[in-house]
Amino acid sequence: MSKSKASGPSRYELLFIVPNNYTEEEAKTIVAKVEGVVSEQGANIVYREFWGKKKLAYIIKQNHYGYYSLCEFDSEKNVIAKIDRTLRLSQEVLRHQIVSAVVLSDAERAKIKDKQEQSAVKNEKKDEKPIKEKAARPTAVRTEKNESNKAELKDLDEKLEGILSAQDLL
Amino acid sequence: MNNKKQKDCFYCVNQLEVDYKDVRTLRRFINFYMKILPGDRTGICSWHQRKLTQAIKRARVMSLLSPTHK
Ligand SMILES: [Zn+2]
Repeated sequence: MSKSKASGPSRYELLFIVPNNYTEEEAKTIVAKVEGVVSEQGANIVYREFWGKKKLAYIIKQNHYGYYSLCEFDSEKNVIAKIDRTLRLSQEVLRHQIVSAVVLSDAERAKIKDKQEQSAVKNEKKDEKPIKEKAARPTAVRTEKNESNKAELKDLDEKLEGILSAQDLL
Repeated sequence: MNNKKQKDCFYCVNQLEVDYKDVRTLRRFINFYMKILPGDRTGICSWHQRKLTQAIKRARVMSLLSPTHK
């Protein structure tokens, strides 16, 4: 993302997963250990974020869950390979990834989080429509009163139109 | 509406940068089969589309997104 200069430290972010066979307390000590590995190499940690236990999108080494932790640091380019190797050999880290990151202030980080949250909420509201429509269908068949049936059909039509136009837009 | 190439780029409009950790945003550019949607479907500008595919692949590595549909 950012073109690294010829010399001097640049910003990196490390995301790693601690396997589920540890308790949250133990996971936190492992996180501290990993951060120790990073700072041992002369890197300056500027930001930490512990996400807690999360369901993995797919099973990794028989783990369905893992503790995610994020760590941003400034470091020289040449030590990244060392950090990467240490973490790869570690049994306490299920998976990790180091990518270069953009330098952000706390205010900017908060702003980005806020924007991401807003757009996610908007998107999830849009997604609710097809789910409601599915739920409404069996009840519409079951109801014997014509009036409620009509009302529900009207509702359905409106929702369908909404969905169709939404699909056009996407 | 019919001209697919004239859609607005989500990331340019919202002044957001692509982030592989933001799975909820990435999810809107992936179809039911967990495939990355092509640029003409997402309406994202080619610069951000390149960032997006990169981010989705990174999210898959970290098990934030499933690479396949079950
Ligand atoms: Zn764009």
